[in-house]
Amino acid sequence: MGRYITQRLVYMVITMFLIATFTFFLMKFLPGTPLSSADRLSEEQQAIVLAKYGLDEPIPVQYFNYMVNLLQGDMGVSFQFDNREVTTIILDRIGPSLQLGFQAMVIGTILGMLLGLVSAIYHNGVLDYGSTFTAVIGQSIPSFVFAGILQYFVGVKLGWFPVALWGTWQHTVLPTIALAIFPLAIAARFMRTEMLEVMGSDYITTARAKGVNKFGVVFKHGVRNALIPLITVLGPLAIGLMTGTLVIENIFAVPGIGEQFVKSINTNDYPIIMGTTLFFAIFFILIVLIIDLLYGVIDPRIRLAEGE
Amino acid sequence: MKKANWFLLVLLLALSMFLAACSGGDESGGETEGDAEGGDGEETEESSGMDSEQVLNLYEPSEIPTMDASMATDAVAFQWLGSTMDGLYRVGEDGETEEGIAIDHEISDDSLTWTFNLRDDATWSNGAPVTAHDFVYAWQRAVNPDTGSEYGPYMMGGVIENAQAIADGDAPVEELGVEAADDYTLEVTLEKPTPYFESLTTFGTFLPLNEEFVEEQGEDYALEAESLIANGPFVITEWDASGWTLEKNEDYWDADQVNLEQINVDVVKETSSAVNLYQTGEVDRVALDAEFVDEYRSAEDFTTIEEPTLFYLKMNQENEILSNENARKAIQRVIDRDSLVNTLLNNGSLASAGNMPQNFVFHPETEEDFREVNGDLFETNVEEAQELWATAKEELDIEEAEIGYLGGDTELSKNMDAYIKDQLEQLEGLTVNVQAVPFQERLDRDTEMDYDLQNAGWGPDYVDPNTFLNLWVTDGGNNKTGYSSEEYDSMIEEANNELAQEPVERFETLLEAEKLLIEEDAVLAPLYQRSRAYLWQPYLKDVTFNQAGPDFTYKYAYIEGKE
Repeated sequence: MGRYITQRLVYMVITMFLIATFTFFLMKFLPGTPLSSADRLSEEQQAIVLAKYGLDEPIPVQYFNYMVNLLQGDMGVSFQFDNREVTTIILDRIGPSLQLGFQAMVIGTILGMLLGLVSAIYHNGVLDYGSTFTAVIGQSIPSFVFAGILQYFVGVKLGWFPVALWGTWQHTVLPTIALAIFPLAIAARFMRTEMLEVMGSDYITTARAKGVNKFGVVFKHGVRNALIPLITVLGPLAIGLMTGTLVIENIFAVPGIGEQFVKSINTNDYPIIMGTTLFFAIFFILIVLIIDLLYGVIDPRIRLAEGE
Repeated sequence: MKKANWFLLVLLLALSMFLAACSGGDESGGETEGDAEGGDGEETEESSGMDSEQVLNLYEPSEIPTMDASMATDAVAFQWLGSTMDGLYRVGEDGETEEGIAIDHEISDDSLTWTFNLRDDATWSNGAPVTAHDFVYAWQRAVNPDTGSEYGPYMMGGVIENAQAIADGDAPVEELGVEAADDYTLEVTLEKPTPYFESLTTFGTFLPLNEEFVEEQGEDYALEAESLIANGPFVITEWDASGWTLEKNEDYWDADQVNLEQINVDVVKETSSAVNLYQTGEVDRVALDAEFVDEYRSAEDFTTIEEPTLFYLKMNQENEILSNENARKAIQRVIDRDSLVNTLLNNGSLASAGNMPQNFVFHPETEEDFREVNGDLFETNVEEAQELWATAKEELDIEEAEIGYLGGDTELSKNMDAYIKDQLEQLEGLTVNVQAVPFQERLDRDTEMDYDLQNAGWGPDYVDPNTFLNLWVTDGGNNKTGYSSEEYDSMIEEANNELAQEPVERFETLLEAEKLLIEEDAVLAPLYQRSRAYLWQPYLKDVTFNQAGPDFTYKYAYIEGKE
């Protein structure tokens, strides 16, 4: 196990290096400069300001400088937020995104699984159709539509929760619900399909024959087996949610990281583009690693590398 | 869970069907280049009925990028710098200036030396007095190439003596034409006479900085509330990614005039969310995008504010067809600008037929509006346009023409550009190819003059006709149309030199220059002057809109009748 993780970490460093390299050169293809008033400055003056930030150097030299600084843990300073450290900007904004993503994942997955279970147990009954219907709706209607509905009806009309902004736990309620709809739908669908398959297999029949009651079988054998494909799907989804979602964060005025990434690209804020990309990449790789480890825990048939 | 869930599901579904139709993107349209503001809002007589709680709640569509006056470039930064800092002068009503740190000034006979007398009772929020040295330090810092300021060289270069040379790295920073004769006398030497220098001193880049504090903070200066210093009506007491809070500065020299105790600003990027916050009373004012205007037009708290920001088509004269004057005149005349503003923009924007906004600058003696004096420099007239176009085609010896059109990629830009394309293609044999590109790319292609027609805009940096007319001189950094007229250049040159101290002649020269530019040479096809629509709580009083610099002045604002 230890060797496996070490190996994965080495791969991770190589992956990060490749991502950093690709991103660096790709972003240099963006039109424009990071100057916010490029339209007002003469070309000569633009050149002087760019030189101050080392952007007059040939791109390979800039790349080399960036990588050297990166190895020393220095991601540079932002252009949009003059002089502000990239790491500070990311750390200041990742908290709300992580919190919302996490809440939405937990709530969405748990409710979704329950819904899927109910469907499977009462296969072809009214409840099954009901939850399948929910799943289809949840998956096909974009989250910003739900967000708009929630904001208007629950926030403005009913006044149960704050319309937008950030601060107390109440402020997280509506964005969490809006974000949870999608994982809920996915979880419900997968849970249902997998459960139906598992419940039809021989060992379940055996268990039932041995006198284990219906719900016992469902929870002890069925759910555990259904979890494997579910985790495969929900892992990447979790990353998407926890690294911030532009639309939901904008609608609920959440000071998250989602919009920062998009804005940095629109304004050619090179250090932030690099910083957020690398941050997301690390996050992604770590989650994938955790998922792989989880497989082993959930299903003893999947064993990682050594010890076989 | 079962029953309740079911009910909720059905409800959600029904609602989503209903709302899917009305929910749309909220991209705010029409990017301008720079800061834009103006017009006039709620004006109420000062009265005794002020509420006991003087708290104003606002939002901004983006975070404050920087509170460092030397580095600021955008409307949000200039707004909050303007609320927390006093420069030599402050922006007053109708584009006039009012007392700030300076009480008055004298101008030398050659118009080159300006001596400002400063008040001796202004202090920084750390207790230090505001002196002439603070201006010297700040201005030197703004043009110092090591600072990396964009607006420093832009606003001061060619205006203050040696500013350009210093910014280019050709002269030491001490040679900047600004000196403290004593603690409360500031002497500024200009490169050339600059009649609008008084207006310039209200601009954010010209704000003073407390050297001791700035140097002590070093790289951390102005990055958070604790590393800020103020000498204006308000101080920022809290500031993070979600918003910021200002409180009244009790040590402000004019604190008696300041009524608001607190201003809360939240960052809200979606207009629809801001509207919802307005409806639940969490913000006191909201700027409406085009798609919200119809819904709220008849509301009592609906108001529009005219801004001195112009939009127009730039016509690249390096293009063979557009090098023809008759072709350019045809383009000017074929676009129905009234429908554009009334139907498409629908927010009080005005059709424009010149290169100077309405209510921006006035005749020094008669006080007539520049725009009124020159009037419309052409009329929309499709028949006349066709004739001009026919002549152009003859002169160019062509039957058909195809030209490119560079526009923005926001929803509003796309709609507008489609409309203009339609209008232009009324000209027989003309095909217009619209290309929608992001703002940055448009700027790049403007710089390289890689366009035929371009939908562009400009907001003023200071209150003087020069901020619009100076753009089009030969090889001007923002000209990029290939227009070059000795006559035009000499008019602008004359207005800013010989006539610097002759306001009436200067004004009249600039009127002539505008006529030459639009009427005779048809360099641009003007489109519209922007207005913005707002929902504005009637209890928010005495907030003034500014023609340049910070969008709004909150110094005199107060709340009355909210309780």
